[in-house]
Amino acid sequence: MSDQQSVRQSGPATVSAAATSRERRTVPGPGSEDTRLAVEIRELVAHGDMDEARDRFAGLVATHQRRASRIAYQYLRDAAEADEAVQDAFVKAFGHIASYREAWPFEVWFTRILINGCLDRRKARARRDRWFAPADETPHDETRVPFGGVAELDPEAQLLARERRARLSAAIDRLDGRQRTVFMLCHYGDCTPREVSAMTGLNESTVRVHLFRAARKLRALLGAKS
Amino acid sequence: MIGRSEHLQDDRLVECYFSDRGGEPLDPPAVEHLADCESCGIRYAELVTFLDDMRTTSDAETDAVFTAERLHQQQEQILRRLEHASRSARVISFPGQSSSHPTAVAGRVAPRWLAAAAAAGLFVGAVGGTLVHSGFERSVTSMHVASNATASARLAPSPAVLLNAPANLSDNIDDDAFLMQLEFALERPHTQELQPFDALTPHVRPVGVNDIR
Repeated sequence: MSDQQSVRQSGPATVSAAATSRERRTVPGPGSEDTRLAVEIRELVAHGDMDEARDRFAGLVATHQRRASRIAYQYLRDAAEADEAVQDAFVKAFGHIASYREAWPFEVWFTRILINGCLDRRKARARRDRWFAPADETPHDETRVPFGGVAELDPEAQLLARERRARLSAAIDRLDGRQRTVFMLCHYGDCTPREVSAMTGLNESTVRVHLFRAARKLRALLGAKS
Repeated sequence: MIGRSEHLQDDRLVECYFSDRGGEPLDPPAVEHLADCESCGIRYAELVTFLDDMRTTSDAETDAVFTAERLHQQQEQILRRLEHASRSARVISFPGQSSSHPTAVAGRVAPRWLAAAAAAGLFVGAVGGTLVHSGFERSVTSMHVASNATASARLAPSPAVLLNAPANLSDNIDDDAFLMQLEFALERPHTQELQPFDALTPHVRPVGVNDIR
């Protein structure tokens, strides 16, 4: 059996069944389409052709905004704030496109900008929470977020889904800062440990250790079978 | 080659999961072992179910929040911001000035405004400095009187109660800068030369029942 083959194809039947429901990600290399596009945009900006650069950047936005929104939302747990964080990250990426180097895919470079923005927002929120009395009892979107076609679900299912989301969110919040970042990027951002290493500046083996510890802690917190 | 007696550790299973998810090549001995060992296969299946379930839940949640329409609006907003950011700033001429002699007017008016602004700044600075100085002296002389009022100060609510939540996010950014400065100032070690003043200053301290009696 070759290395490239999925583990689950070689494992028990239950495992291979689970594999079919999951999408695998193609790792973008330094020569990927996004990276080439980012380099082109950099050249256009360098030549002062801003309109064309903006038009092409719209393509990058369309490609990455869903993933970026997912990461930002998992980090911040607030739709409006996640929206702003994503917008800021794209604007900042365009503003600093001259400093982009194609040694790493655009996705890695952009995600680093996004994560830094999200971390700043979390710090700012923590600081605000220390000094300000909350005016609103529902700061997050937990109570108003519908859950995947929730309109068709009965109230009991809605309640269970909401409780499940709350437990999940609370468990992730209890992770150590680095563990949380690494887990978020790998699990929700579809990044490989190598990419996370490039984004965070951590050693790749350290990333793997954080990832394992995060997964172990989450399983313990969420009561999964060990 | 991993023997059947040496089962895969949890960290190897997690590594296999994320490698598989990221499309990276997997460790061949681990793949072989998972194919042969039923116990490890079951453990791996449980791990996969747990992590896949987490991912499915969060994906569904995010998709519900960030609908296609919202993402479209977000994209338009980003492009608007980019367009706005790349537009060069315009210089607006001072109202009421004659447009027929722009260079002569600019040459004459600018020094006059500069002089007026400098004079106003000097005046405000001098008055403000005097007031602050006199206020400081008054506070030092009345310190003994003020120390009697510490009981009421002890009952003062914490800053978290005194301050209300910010109205919007732009205010939050200003507040955040202010709070950062505040926290920085609070964390600074006390200066030796200011210790006598600190000793004279009334402080809010926790009060026991016996103290009140």
